[in-house]
Amino acid sequence: MSVIEIQNITKDYGGHKGVFDVSFDVQKGEVVGFLGPNGSGKTTTIRQLMGFIKPDKGKVTIFEKDCFEKASEVQGSIGYLPGEIAFMNDMNGLEFIEFMAKMKKIKNKEKMQELIRFLELDPKGKIKRMSKGMKQKIGIVIAFMGDADILILDEPTSGLDPLMQNKFVELIQKEKERGKTILMSSHIFEEVEHTCDRVVMIKDGQIIAVEKMDNIRKNRQKYYEIEFENEHEARKFADYYQNVKVDHHRVSFFLKGEVNELLHRLSQVQIVEINARSQSLEELFLHYYGGDNHEWNAF
Amino acid sequence: MNGTLFKKEMKSNVKIFLIFAAIVTLYGSVIVAMYDPKLGESLNMMATAMPELFAAFGMVDPGLTLLDFILNYLYGFLLIVIPFVFSVILCHRLMARYIDQGSMAYLLAVPYNRNVLLRTQLFVLLVWNFLLIAYVSVLILGVSSLMFKEGIEVLSFLWVNLALFFLHAFLSSMCFLFACSFNETKFSIGLGAGLGGCFVLIQMLSKVSDTVDFLKYFTPLTLFDPKKLAAFDSNALCWAISLLLGSIVWMILASVIFKKRDLPL
Repeated sequence: MSVIEIQNITKDYGGHKGVFDVSFDVQKGEVVGFLGPNGSGKTTTIRQLMGFIKPDKGKVTIFEKDCFEKASEVQGSIGYLPGEIAFMNDMNGLEFIEFMAKMKKIKNKEKMQELIRFLELDPKGKIKRMSKGMKQKIGIVIAFMGDADILILDEPTSGLDPLMQNKFVELIQKEKERGKTILMSSHIFEEVEHTCDRVVMIKDGQIIAVEKMDNIRKNRQKYYEIEFENEHEARKFADYYQNVKVDHHRVSFFLKGEVNELLHRLSQVQIVEINARSQSLEELFLHYYGGDNHEWNAF
Repeated sequence: MNGTLFKKEMKSNVKIFLIFAAIVTLYGSVIVAMYDPKLGESLNMMATAMPELFAAFGMVDPGLTLLDFILNYLYGFLLIVIPFVFSVILCHRLMARYIDQGSMAYLLAVPYNRNVLLRTQLFVLLVWNFLLIAYVSVLILGVSSLMFKEGIEVLSFLWVNLALFFLHAFLSSMCFLFACSFNETKFSIGLGAGLGGCFVLIQMLSKVSDTVDFLKYFTPLTLFDPKKLAAFDSNALCWAISLLLGSIVWMILASVIFKKRDLPL
């Protein structure tokens, strides 16, 4: 059952800004990563889900209710983390969290306490004096404390240090196990890689790919960097593969599978060093994003 | 209406209220204290000597009784402008800054609809306006009865203050309408404050001479006539009520616009 449904929405701000004919959905219990560079339309899409703006064309629904017209009914089941941090500066962190709990009619404060502990947040300081990371943690507490069925998170890890980013991934995984439906926008690929079931990629306001994470993993290439004894060997080796970069003795390229064949070839020449790693989601995305199609037929 | 939000907004605007209460205390008590039954005549003389200047600040015929004196010196200009500035600041704090800074995203990510938010903020605005005017009324009544044996005609005075509240309901809901309708502070606050400022200027001009008297038809401030109200003039009462009705129109407009509009959150 799809919980969040976005059908052919267009919101044109002029000058190619906005989103154009965007459609995708999020199934119950699914975690979907919403990827795209800055200004690609992620936040514009999320604003429509939150009922802040109305699409020019198309339909946005959550639980089959229109996100703009029935915003207040929909909001009850959403935990939302805005992309921009803007709190009420006249409160301290804890006051603001408590205020939001009351506004959202949250009676049980256990989850709130638990989150504050988990994120190692000291919410008692003045919000004005807080670092970006601290504020982000407060936003995360507010989004998760209501134990809402749906979580809509706009750039949830911005401002967090790598340690906290890992904790956040843990948090998402926990919520996922508990059956939450999650849509999170991001431009940090690791967190999406470790949490999401599916990835929606957007560029210039248009969806360029929707892909299952399993498929991405399965079809993901390896990135090899091999240093040869001499340039002649390197060049000779490079001829076997496509799109190979040769830099003196050093050869680098992407390859999917064919490991035995590669090893066989390598065993016949003198090599100094070999490095292999998985292609990052970022590199994968660049293929779509840059329109750089060289040998990218993995899907 | 949302009780949590109401409490929060009342609490976070106490300081601003106290500042404005202090300002009106200063002006209110000083002007009441300036009253001297004998001075009335000499002021009248000054007013005949410099009619334009006195008229511009709404001080036509300073009058002889304490009530006349107060209505002239406080209700012609000061108690219009000071609470208006208070309203403008409140419109910024209650609506415009939330939209401009984006913190309204939190206020809307709750299971209440936009109109509940709007009505709560509007109610807070009116309550603060009411409190300021109620406070200044009590203050003037208190100072007058402390300093002058004869005091002032309480009923007339309260009648004028009720009308003053209607005027401020009109002006502040007008500001609030702009605050709800625009994204950037320069429009959301600038338009309301600017229009209000124009009303005051037009009124000042219209009183300077008879040739520009027609200007009074271009400012709603004309609908608030303290002297006629104090005399329980029925026309003046109708005008005051039309201000209240006007404020209801602003509120309905604000609600219609705010419900439908895109918010930059």
